[in-house]
Amino acid sequence: MTEPDPDAAQAAIEHCYDQGWSDGLPLVPASRPLVDRFLATVDRPADEVIGVLPQLDRTVTVELAAINAAMAGCRPEYFPVVLATWEALVRERSTGGGGWQSTSGPAPLIVVNGPVRDELGFNRAGGAFGPGFRANATVARAIGLIVRNVYGIHPHVLEQATQGLPGRWSICIAENEEESPWEPLSAEGGIPAGTSAVSATLLRTCEFVDNRHTGSAEQLLTDFADTISRTGAWIFRHASVGIVFCPEHAQLLAGAGFGRAQVRTWLVEHCGRTVSDLARAGKDGLGDNGVRHASGERPEGFDRLLPSADRENLLIAVAGARNAGISMVVRLFSGWSGAAVPVPARAAAALEEVRP
Amino acid sequence: MPNAILDPTGRAPAPEATPAAAPRAARRPDLTGARVGLLENTKQNAALLLQEVATLLVAEHGAAGVVLMRTKQAFALPAPAELVAEYADACDVVVTGVGDCGSCSASAVADGVLLEAAGVPAAVICSDAFVATADAMAALRGAPGYRYVTTEHPVAVLTPQQVQERAEHVVAGVVALLTEARP
Repeated sequence: MTEPDPDAAQAAIEHCYDQGWSDGLPLVPASRPLVDRFLATVDRPADEVIGVLPQLDRTVTVELAAINAAMAGCRPEYFPVVLATWEALVRERSTGGGGWQSTSGPAPLIVVNGPVRDELGFNRAGGAFGPGFRANATVARAIGLIVRNVYGIHPHVLEQATQGLPGRWSICIAENEEESPWEPLSAEGGIPAGTSAVSATLLRTCEFVDNRHTGSAEQLLTDFADTISRTGAWIFRHASVGIVFCPEHAQLLAGAGFGRAQVRTWLVEHCGRTVSDLARAGKDGLGDNGVRHASGERPEGFDRLLPSADRENLLIAVAGARNAGISMVVRLFSGWSGAAVPVPARAAAALEEVRP
Repeated sequence: MPNAILDPTGRAPAPEATPAAAPRAARRPDLTGARVGLLENTKQNAALLLQEVATLLVAEHGAAGVVLMRTKQAFALPAPAELVAEYADACDVVVTGVGDCGSCSASAVADGVLLEAAGVPAAVICSDAFVATADAMAALRGAPGYRYVTTEHPVAVLTPQQVQERAEHVVAGVVALLTEARP
């Protein structure tokens, strides 16, 4: 084998920048042989259409997804996870509407379940939100490159994010099933535990809840309810959220008899603000179009934030190290489909073929 | 020979823009007796701004009145064909907007292009913060250089009185777009 040629590599990377393909970081230049190794990991025709934005007249195929995944730095064997992630996102109503163009600049939240986590090296423990792990980082980045390059949604043009958010194309976590007291997130989404699957939705930000202060499930949930109920994140009549619990918090809740459903029921009742609180922030008015506005005319009362205790309005996953009571509230861009998409088990032959 | 670097976009480079490629409805010399359609997109103050503009079109420019006002079901998407046809049937001119977000500004321009193709002159009102995305959508829709009316950002937080003032400010531009024979 000849030594890698850094100068040729750099010239190829600069070529990719010059074409406007990059999200700002260097790309892996995609060649035919590399992309063919990606395509060999899935039993799908290269020209199969997997995404359409009719309003922009843009179409994503398996082949284009493979090129972008390769450019993102994925290994070929990650490609089935990229396709499952993409399909999970396509099922989100917001991604077929204006989600990718939105001023809120929402990020995909990607949750991976099942044996594929260990097979491909997805991090599920410490630093679950990253960085530091190739599989997590590059699968999320691949989605961003597909949106940019195939849908042609570029910042400052069709993408109108006011500020965007940290980690927009890098939030891919593996669920810590081993230290979660609950069934895998994907099992809630209809895929049996033990089968690899991806769940995904769009989020607007992540906010930590650090509570190493109480052994009471109610006090702990009260701390979450406070973060969830802040007025700044609340723009419509209701809002949907998610929580990525650390193992310690999840186990504390489970020990007190809380399953996911009980957590949701509790939070639906306790998350919200008084009308006077909302009026102080100019968000008490409830118009026909569903957007809150300054009214000042409503009688005192309590507005619940969550529309229901359905999982579509409150995604609950478990990830991170079991070393502290630090969890993350994630702000969903709209509702979550509630679905999980299976990652097809790869044929052993294909696996051998893609390993260099 | 080294391998070629593959293109991740799936598209040929954009051809040079050809202005006025998109069909444009025939204009009337003025708005006397014109039946006005309003298409609002659910954005805060959009309905009020369109109504205030229509009031001025009637009071100061002789329009007959508003004969059709609908709310888009999906502000991020271009209006469906049936809705466009309904406007083309019922109205002589259409005012639409307000393009006041990432996707709805682009889709408002797409609506304008669709209405013109259906034979009804349209005036799109768009916040001036979204010109780049509005222009990009016009080019995508085969109408590079498509003209619309801008109003200062923001619109959503204006009081009803301020919305009325905005209407007074944009109405001349709306009339010009709906009546000028040439863009």
